[in-house]
Amino acid sequence: MNLQHQQELEIDNYLRRLRECLPQMSVADREEIVREISVHIRESAQETNSSLDEILARLGSAEDLASEYGQDALIRHASHSFSPVLILRATVELAKRGIEGLALFLSALLGYTLGGGLVLTAILKPIFPRQTGLWIGPGVFDFGLHEPPPVYPAHEVLGWRYIPIALSFGWLFLWVTTLGVRWFLRRSRSRGSIFARNRAHISANAGTLA
Amino acid sequence: MIEIHKKLDLENNGSAERWEQQIRKGALEMAALAALWSGELYGLEIIRRFENSSQLSLAEGTIYPILSRLKNEGLLESKWVEAEAGHPRKYYRLTDAGRARLQQMTQTWTEFSRELGTLIKPVIAAQKDEVTK
Repeated sequence: MNLQHQQELEIDNYLRRLRECLPQMSVADREEIVREISVHIRESAQETNSSLDEILARLGSAEDLASEYGQDALIRHASHSFSPVLILRATVELAKRGIEGLALFLSALLGYTLGGGLVLTAILKPIFPRQTGLWIGPGVFDFGLHEPPPVYPAHEVLGWRYIPIALSFGWLFLWVTTLGVRWFLRRSRSRGSIFARNRAHISANAGTLA
Repeated sequence: MIEIHKKLDLENNGSAERWEQQIRKGALEMAALAALWSGELYGLEIIRRFENSSQLSLAEGTIYPILSRLKNEGLLESKWVEAEAGHPRKYYRLTDAGRARLQQMTQTWTEFSRELGTLIKPVIAAQKDEVTK
């Protein structure tokens, strides 16, 4: 079956949308995907009596197809990235898949909020010196930016030392969160499907049966 | 009251459909690996194999991202081969890690089916009774 000019335009349009919607990945990876889908469409048209519309409908929309590729690419990319935004986006994706992913997302959110918050308050200390610090008192342990600041008997204990300490702990939280989440992301990729998750359990069972 | 029942029926059907989709999608990785157990195939051949030898009907676009993911995990490798049809085809084959993973999956699947089969035996028996009545 020779594809008509109109059909070629329709295929090109589908592939263009696919290319545009494919997420962050190398040009080579993106072009390989487009090439494979292009071959699929053309071979399906040759092999079957289906119309081009039917073939494209069976393939799904270009946007949906790109999204399927995108979810995996996002997690793969994030597992080697230091960008908190990218890492958080990947954890959001995992959170949609189950309780373990949700726990990872919440941990990442907590780690980045705490780390980022500490760094931010260290920066704000010179601007709001009285309102920023660490307050300790009977039943009081409070840090960060407070307006108004906690009152006596709680008192601020760090003074200007708050800046290096908050910066150090802030960076530490950001660093540990990033490394920890990256480790989990790599682990989730290497474990693959739900079946592999029960590997230890099954091996144990097999051992018992044997 | 009838409308409420209809709404509940629709919701139940919707969640049953979602459950079925999840089951199918979850099994698709194993099915893709299993299709390649005997040798290398290209994407369209894998889809045709699903259609011919199983009940795994799927949106055809679903299989390509799965193949890509399995390749990135090192379970598959691929190569482009010039074909007589005029279009080069991307053939996939299992790596050693892929074979090992498939064997693990098969073991898990068999075990899981057996355990679940025991649990749903009374349901199947009740369904048979209803049919015979």
